Amino acid sequence: MKPLRADGDASRLPTVTFGPRSLMWWGTLGFMTIEGWTLAILVAGYLYLRQNYDAWPPLRTPYPSLLVPTINVALMLISIIPAKLAADAGRRLDERGVRRWLAVTVAITVAIVVLRWWDLWALNTRWDTNAYGSAAWTIVGFHTSLLVLDAMDTIGLTLFFWFKRLPAKAFSDVANNSFYWYSTVGVWIPIYLLLYVGPRIF
Amino acid sequence: MTESHDRALPVPQIMPADDVERTAAELDQTWAEPGTLWGWLTAVDHKSIGKRYIITAFLMFVAGGIEAALMRLQLARPENTLIGPDRYNQLFTTHGTTMMFLFAVPMMNAMGIYFVPLMVGARNVAFPRLNSFGYWSYFVGVALLYVSLFVNTGPDAGWFAYVPLAGPAYSPGHRVDVWAQVVTFTEIAALCAAVNIIVTAFKMRAPGMSLDRIPIFVWAQLVVAFMIVFAMPAVATGSTLMLATDRAVNMHWFNPPEGGDALLWQHVFWFFGHPEVYIIFLPAIGMVTPIVETFTRRRVFGYTALVMANITTAFFAFGLWVHHMFTTPIPELGQSLFTAASMVIAIPTGLQIFCWIATVATGRVRITVPMLFLFGFIFTFVNGGLTGVMLASVAFDKQVHDTFFVVAHLHYVLLGGGVMPLFAAFYFWFPKITGRRLGDRLGKWHFWLFVIGVNVTFFPMHILGLEGMPRRVYTYLAPTGWGSLNLLATLGAFVIAASVLVFVVNAARSWRSGELAGDNPWDASGLEWATSSPPPVYNFVYPIVVRSGHPLWETTVERPVVTGLATHRREMLLTTTFDGRPDSRHVDPEPSIWPLYLALCMGVLFIGSIFSPYFVLGGIGLSTIGMLGWARQSTEHVDRELVALPDCRLVETL
Repeated sequence: MKPLRADGDASRLPTVTFGPRSLMWWGTLGFMTIEGWTLAILVAGYLYLRQNYDAWPPLRTPYPSLLVPTINVALMLISIIPAKLAADAGRRLDERGVRRWLAVTVAITVAIVVLRWWDLWALNTRWDTNAYGSAAWTIVGFHTSLLVLDAMDTIGLTLFFWFKRLPAKAFSDVANNSFYWYSTVGVWIPIYLLLYVGPRIF
Repeated sequence: MTESHDRALPVPQIMPADDVERTAAELDQTWAEPGTLWGWLTAVDHKSIGKRYIITAFLMFVAGGIEAALMRLQLARPENTLIGPDRYNQLFTTHGTTMMFLFAVPMMNAMGIYFVPLMVGARNVAFPRLNSFGYWSYFVGVALLYVSLFVNTGPDAGWFAYVPLAGPAYSPGHRVDVWAQVVTFTEIAALCAAVNIIVTAFKMRAPGMSLDRIPIFVWAQLVVAFMIVFAMPAVATGSTLMLATDRAVNMHWFNPPEGGDALLWQHVFWFFGHPEVYIIFLPAIGMVTPIVETFTRRRVFGYTALVMANITTAFFAFGLWVHHMFTTPIPELGQSLFTAASMVIAIPTGLQIFCWIATVATGRVRITVPMLFLFGFIFTFVNGGLTGVMLASVAFDKQVHDTFFVVAHLHYVLLGGGVMPLFAAFYFWFPKITGRRLGDRLGKWHFWLFVIGVNVTFFPMHILGLEGMPRRVYTYLAPTGWGSLNLLATLGAFVIAASVLVFVVNAARSWRSGELAGDNPWDASGLEWATSSPPPVYNFVYPIVVRSGHPLWETTVERPVVTGLATHRREMLLTTTFDGRPDSRHVDPEPSIWPLYLALCMGVLFIGSIFSPYFVLGGIGLSTIGMLGWARQSTEHVDRELVALPDCRLVETL
């Protein structure tokens, strides 16, 4: 075996990084892509089934209600603010700021998850009524699973920050958690427009 | 807190042998994975996971092969009564499901999980616990399919589960549900592997390994990982969110009277299904390049062309799916487009074959068992590729659709293009995994029996298909005249079985008492050969600095490395995505039971969902405990850290 020559010293390289420098950011991006793409395929299925109908929603199916879904979309957009503030506090290693803004994010997230129940019924059809109902329920249902998972993640992180001594990488995790939340909200906007507003248009 | 800059400064210096040995001893302790059952269940080393993935997937290859042999026995003569139609349906469905979902894709992922970190000079994959979770999810899928088969609930609607046959009206009971959930588990596993491979290849390469120095095998794995990210969600959506919900909670995705559409299933399935072929094929041909380079003792001809061919193939692979649907009412323009795309994809594949031929023609060729398998690959695969171009023609495809001609084509492609390079890779990398070489004499027997067996089995099927013999029928009448060619194919199948048996004997004997290989028995050029065989848990004592695409063929007196990674915890070096500059240190997680626990919770959730929605709730509840446990374990160790803030300051925490 050849003798080894030290060509560089890594001992002063950072051990905690943020954004694309950290592995977890890339992992988060990977799963965001997978989940976003899954929703895109479901939406393609929804539009494919649209071709089988003259009317959309099908005859005798009322339009989806707009009130609760619109309130929930507004809440989601508002939730971006504390999520961003929590991420910013994380990037400053500001533990108090992280605790505060994570708690606010959790409060809004829980409200969003609760309102999601009425989002589902606001479709004004059941999953087993017809293909329109199946497609709409599956899309909202799948997004709900992402929402619940993200809420659990945020709640867990918040509890840890409030009640546990954490390693410094947890600050980077806060930033990544917000990053994931932006995507969960971001993918919902076109879905809201398609499922709740769309049937009134096409 | 203290502040400073965050870039490594070069300090060229020969490492005293004592220092290297002391560092290795410290790493041995820090990275140790206990050899107990608990150690095995909690392992997070990519080589442990990779090895068990390879062995499980190989057992699936054997299981799928036994199913094929049983089917061939049934078809050996007309009007045979060995296996009835119901059992035969379960056999061909389980054979296809096993070979595609439980053997081919997991095996290619497994090779990536084992070798990508070694080839890029990393100590582990990016997310070791996710990797372990992926394996256990796959294992749950394997167990589900085979337990179901043995209790007469094996899926029976084909590996593609076409509706309406697979829908609730025509497939009552739970056979198709089993299929849908097996697919779910394997998709989860493939996606975990894909994310791991992408991030490992992007962020964990050796210092100096810029994009143009990445080994071709790693490129192939990277491209395929991206394909998995975009292909697998389609079948997961189709099987779990559409088919399973149609069956379990009366949805109507595929129910025409309520506005559903059976063709939608075919679109969703083949949008995954055709890229799937390349998800199997690209890693296999990624294995070809390092083998060709090693045994011709020269760099491969056309590195950039090979990389671009991989990427181009991946793009085209997503534009071919409708060629599986030429007998459905697809508009003519659509048919023409997909015909053209199906032909165009032959170009990048052909280009790669010409690159290897040019390499072989201008190198000093050593004929070894891996090289024999590569010659077998080129011969067999080119035949399969040619019938593929024939099938791209709509008029021809309509004539032979659902006949044995297609069976012949796909087996030539998959056995020639997938399994033969895989066997070549086994012979090539077995010494790295086990420290011992595979026997040469048995290797040659294995090769000749396999190549002859494949051709004797599948060539007659072209003729049977042209004569009109349909696929997926459990028997045929004597006056058809198909008996003798079927008998020949059955004999061929047993020659293949004999060849695989020879390989198993060879592997078992060599693993126990084969010739010791040493670090680099073939004098190959990749980083995986720069460490011992088998490698230690941490792979490399120091990250190796790379100055070319063939680091072990560099004629330097010393091997440049980077020092300074802590040895008291599992530190790894991260580098920049494009040019591979040292960027930060990352602490690898320690062994954990939570990945296994969570995979079992997923089992409760998805398998239980077949029987009652309450299992879904139970699965979610149990998973929550698992996620909390996992997160808690990940945040246990509070250590002194150097934090790189986004404003470029470096802060030291307590």
